[in-house]
Amino acid sequence: MASRRTIDLGKARRNFGALLDGHRYRWTELWLLLLPAAFLIISVLELAIVRTQPQIINRQTLPPLDTFAPALGLIAALAVAHLALNIFAPDADQTLLPIAGTLASIGVIMATRLGPDIEQKDLGAKQLAFVVVGLIICVVTVRVTRNLGWLRNYKYTWAAVGLGLVALTLVRARSFSTDAPSRDVLSIGLGTGGLTFQPSELLKICLVIFFAGYLSENQEMLALARFKVGPFALPPLKHLGPLLVMLGVALLMIIGVRELGLALLIFGLFLSMLYVASNRPMYVVTSLILFTIGAVAAFGIFSYARARLDILGSAFDPAVEPNQGYQIVQGLISFASGGVFGSGLGLGSPTVTPAATTDYIAASFGEEFGFAGVLALIGLFLLLVYRGLSIAAQAREPFNKLMAVGLTAVFALQTLVILAGNLKVMPLTGVPLPFVAYGGSSLIANFIIIGLLLRLSEADT
Amino acid sequence: MDLTELINGGGPFGFLFILRIVLVAFLYLAILQIVGVARRDLRRAAAIAQVPGQARQVVGHLIVIDSGTTKIPLNARMDIEPITTIGRAPTSSVVIDSGVVSTDHARISYRNRSLWVEDLGSHNGTYVNGRKITQATAVKPDDILQVGDVRFKFTV
Repeated sequence: MASRRTIDLGKARRNFGALLDGHRYRWTELWLLLLPAAFLIISVLELAIVRTQPQIINRQTLPPLDTFAPALGLIAALAVAHLALNIFAPDADQTLLPIAGTLASIGVIMATRLGPDIEQKDLGAKQLAFVVVGLIICVVTVRVTRNLGWLRNYKYTWAAVGLGLVALTLVRARSFSTDAPSRDVLSIGLGTGGLTFQPSELLKICLVIFFAGYLSENQEMLALARFKVGPFALPPLKHLGPLLVMLGVALLMIIGVRELGLALLIFGLFLSMLYVASNRPMYVVTSLILFTIGAVAAFGIFSYARARLDILGSAFDPAVEPNQGYQIVQGLISFASGGVFGSGLGLGSPTVTPAATTDYIAASFGEEFGFAGVLALIGLFLLLVYRGLSIAAQAREPFNKLMAVGLTAVFALQTLVILAGNLKVMPLTGVPLPFVAYGGSSLIANFIIIGLLLRLSEADT
Repeated sequence: MDLTELINGGGPFGFLFILRIVLVAFLYLAILQIVGVARRDLRRAAAIAQVPGQARQVVGHLIVIDSGTTKIPLNARMDIEPITTIGRAPTSSVVIDSGVVSTDHARISYRNRSLWVEDLGSHNGTYVNGRKITQATAVKPDDILQVGDVRFKFTV
């Protein structure tokens, strides 16, 4: 009898321990979320004080007090998302939501501050609405992907869904021309009411799932590299074929709607996933050579792309028509006038640059927060990429590993392409800065990626 | 200097100036805190890796009798633990770096006082005594296990 009771006690203790382990409260996340909250409150305070300054000329255009609600709304939304994650994914990574939250805070504050300057008083409220929808979809993603095999098994369906959405916009785009970029064409698609949606944002996620599913199943064959053409190793065509067809169709579609920045992004994430799956640098070299040939061809066909490249050298050239380099030059002046500590939130005039809330959000942020602020922004993106890659490193299943690498590459490449574009290091392409740039589709897609990364991190603890 | 002037002052030491600095400082504080969490995670992972753990239980050995195209030395002796995985994955108990071996190729487990070999859905199959196995198969000493082009012999 006595020994039996001892065993039961031990069992009870074990169950209790398991319960505690399984439902640990996410204290770290809560603590880290206090920082974006403090950032938001101080920003609101500063904007309110700037408004009372009689000597500041442009104070009329600063947001009136009632538009400060977005900042407080965001704090509430992050708190609710935190509680939801405690229920749905108690063991998931605790830094992803705070990093995304801090970046989204910067985005909402910048939209609130810049909106009135470009005669869109409710820009901050709209951005907040996108963030809230994004957070809801993030939590839903965490919940519905509990079984990651479901994503892997339907990999062709996902690829078809992504390509179908982009094909829809391709059909709706009435005319085809080679001399203009296509942001607007893509945004027309699926417009309901005043809202527009960019299916290309979802295409990225669908393709990552497809590549991860396909590459993880054919990892062994890819590592073989039976054919050698000169110094270039080629994998068995049978196994690489479907992948290349899918990639080719995606790139053709995107070039069809003239979104070269997105084509670059998709090619980049394909390369990083292929490298991680096969561990063969030669594939990367072969692909880069193909890419160079493709890029030269693209610059030959698309005159707007050529113009973007030419402007890098001649932006400051007075002989060139002044409007050509206007945006690039104004963006650089924005960065420069910020100095080390910036002009202060609400004290600069970043809206001189066209697209100050979208493509040039980094320049607007740089003017008001200075070099110190931009370094912090880059630091936050680096941490996001670091956490994503460490989730990949810890993953046991090849599919999970490749998914984490691909999703992280989306963030890394987007940040790189748009920051380099803003700083006149690379031709400018209209890729949104993740979480910070104004725009619903991109925010929602980014929060889906955060949701998937959270799920992947929990799958391997 | 009265209070309202101090609060509203835009001068070098005015409230607004301090706010501007604090605002940027908060971004750095966020980065520092996140780096701190990442460091703690790394330490924890390292501590888990270093824990000596329960003394490893060895229930048998594998002797390499044919290393195929791999660099595994002939007659190498490998421990069989109650659960031993064989594959190309670096996390496998027995790592075989060969193109014809799957990431997670086969598993040897110790159940009912016997060793069982299972194929984990590999591309090229797992063979016991030259026969391709389709389900968990019990093995005894001197049986031959073939994974990819590498052959092992079971011993105690």
